[in-house]
Amino acid sequence: MLKIQEIRELINLIDQSSIEEFKFEQNGSKVTIRKQLKSQLKNQVETTRVVAAPPTMNVNEQGDIQQVAVNEVSNQKEETKEAAVKGNENYHAITSPMVGTFYVAPSPDSAPYVAVGDKVKEDSVVCIVEAMKLMNEIESEIKGEIVEVLVENGQLVEYGQELFLVKPE
Amino acid sequence: MKGKVLQLLRDHSNEYISGEKISQALSISRTMVWKYIDALRKEGYDIIAVSNKGYLLKGEVDSLSEHGIQARLDERSIFRNVVYQPVLESTQQLAQQLLQEKEKNGQGTIVIANEQTGGRGRLGRDWHSPKNTGVWMSIILYPKLDIRQTPQLTLLTAVAVVRAIEKITELDVHIKWPNDILINKKKVAGILTELQADPDRVKSVIIGIGLNVNQTSFPEEIKDIATSIAIEGNKGYKRIDLIEAILFEFQWLYEVYLSKGFSFIKPLWEARTTTLGKRITATTPRDVITGVADRMDDDGVLLLKDDEGVIHRIYSADIKILHD
Repeated sequence: MLKIQEIRELINLIDQSSIEEFKFEQNGSKVTIRKQLKSQLKNQVETTRVVAAPPTMNVNEQGDIQQVAVNEVSNQKEETKEAAVKGNENYHAITSPMVGTFYVAPSPDSAPYVAVGDKVKEDSVVCIVEAMKLMNEIESEIKGEIVEVLVENGQLVEYGQELFLVKPE
Repeated sequence: MKGKVLQLLRDHSNEYISGEKISQALSISRTMVWKYIDALRKEGYDIIAVSNKGYLLKGEVDSLSEHGIQARLDERSIFRNVVYQPVLESTQQLAQQLLQEKEKNGQGTIVIANEQTGGRGRLGRDWHSPKNTGVWMSIILYPKLDIRQTPQLTLLTAVAVVRAIEKITELDVHIKWPNDILINKKKVAGILTELQADPDRVKSVIIGIGLNVNQTSFPEEIKDIATSIAIEGNKGYKRIDLIEAILFEFQWLYEVYLSKGFSFIKPLWEARTTTLGKRITATTPRDVITGVADRMDDDGVLLLKDDEGVIHRIYSADIKILHD
């Protein structure tokens, strides 16, 4: 059975290649990785207006990984579900524009940029995502109030992962 | 008299001259000699004192100024706008402010200070930046890049700084992933980059470079891990020469990168790294992982293979090279 790290590695390699579908079978375990083409998804994205999400994996009870959708845009259904869980209000999610380490503050000794209940403006820095000593100061992009911090300090976040929920003003 | 002391030191640039000799030659007291030496040091002359040997002028005054830096940049330079301040909290901080004043920071603005009172590294760590000793510089760029590519700029900057040091000195310079610059396993330069971006577009990048040039000693808490090129090269260097070389190397690498991509930069980085193939410990905010640094991928991510053969993708960590 492939390790999760190896699968990640595969996803990355395939993502960068022109391969659309990849199947791998070993000792009764099967892995199928299939890319969805951007054009197929375009309409969906426009109607749901959901930003990009990380690749998803659906694993059935036998442990077989049936499908790993690898694309810049995927997983709309689950995001819609998550937003619904938060109630009727239409919260805006601040997402990570790159893979990296999430920090709530500029240094371990500093106060967090924002906390639940804080009001933010479009250009308020809400966190840092770091990769290779590049500190990306993430701005809110929307005026409102922070209602939830979805990730923990020091956590590795994926491209498109939701970091904060903001109640727009 | 101060000038005469300096002249004597200059005349003995390859050997130590004792305080006694200076005192006799100039008919002044030993205390006065010490006072003049101290005054020269305060002006920035790098004079080392060794007991039983005397004084040695290691580095001449190497004062930085806006026009002095401008004079080193030819008409092809992308660095059109030089901001120099004797003292700043940090060059990154001033660069951040300049971003708000659009008219003052065209493409390729550089901010340089003679001293930083609050120089900082990753995660708000202090970067010791005393006056007259180092290159404390920030570069402001507005690259048309995908946000996910921008970490590659930090690797490119490491290559530029290494090449610049190699150009000015004879020293062996190495890169520790992602962009620490080492000489004899001690850190001589650090690079910290700050990115301002919209969700889909890079607005600006500020690349901060701290290079230890003429320090002859370091505070107790970092003396085992930090060095300067003067300590390693056993002589003083002109910071302006290094600034010129860094900006020159950076520019051509950056232009090639924008037109040809990271595939051209990556082998230059790999040729100078001491991290790959070594057994290392990576301390991330969540984990401590020990294993072999297998390779760096095309995005600059370090692939670390632990003892079970599991590959970990390292995006940010403190790296310690073991059994080096």
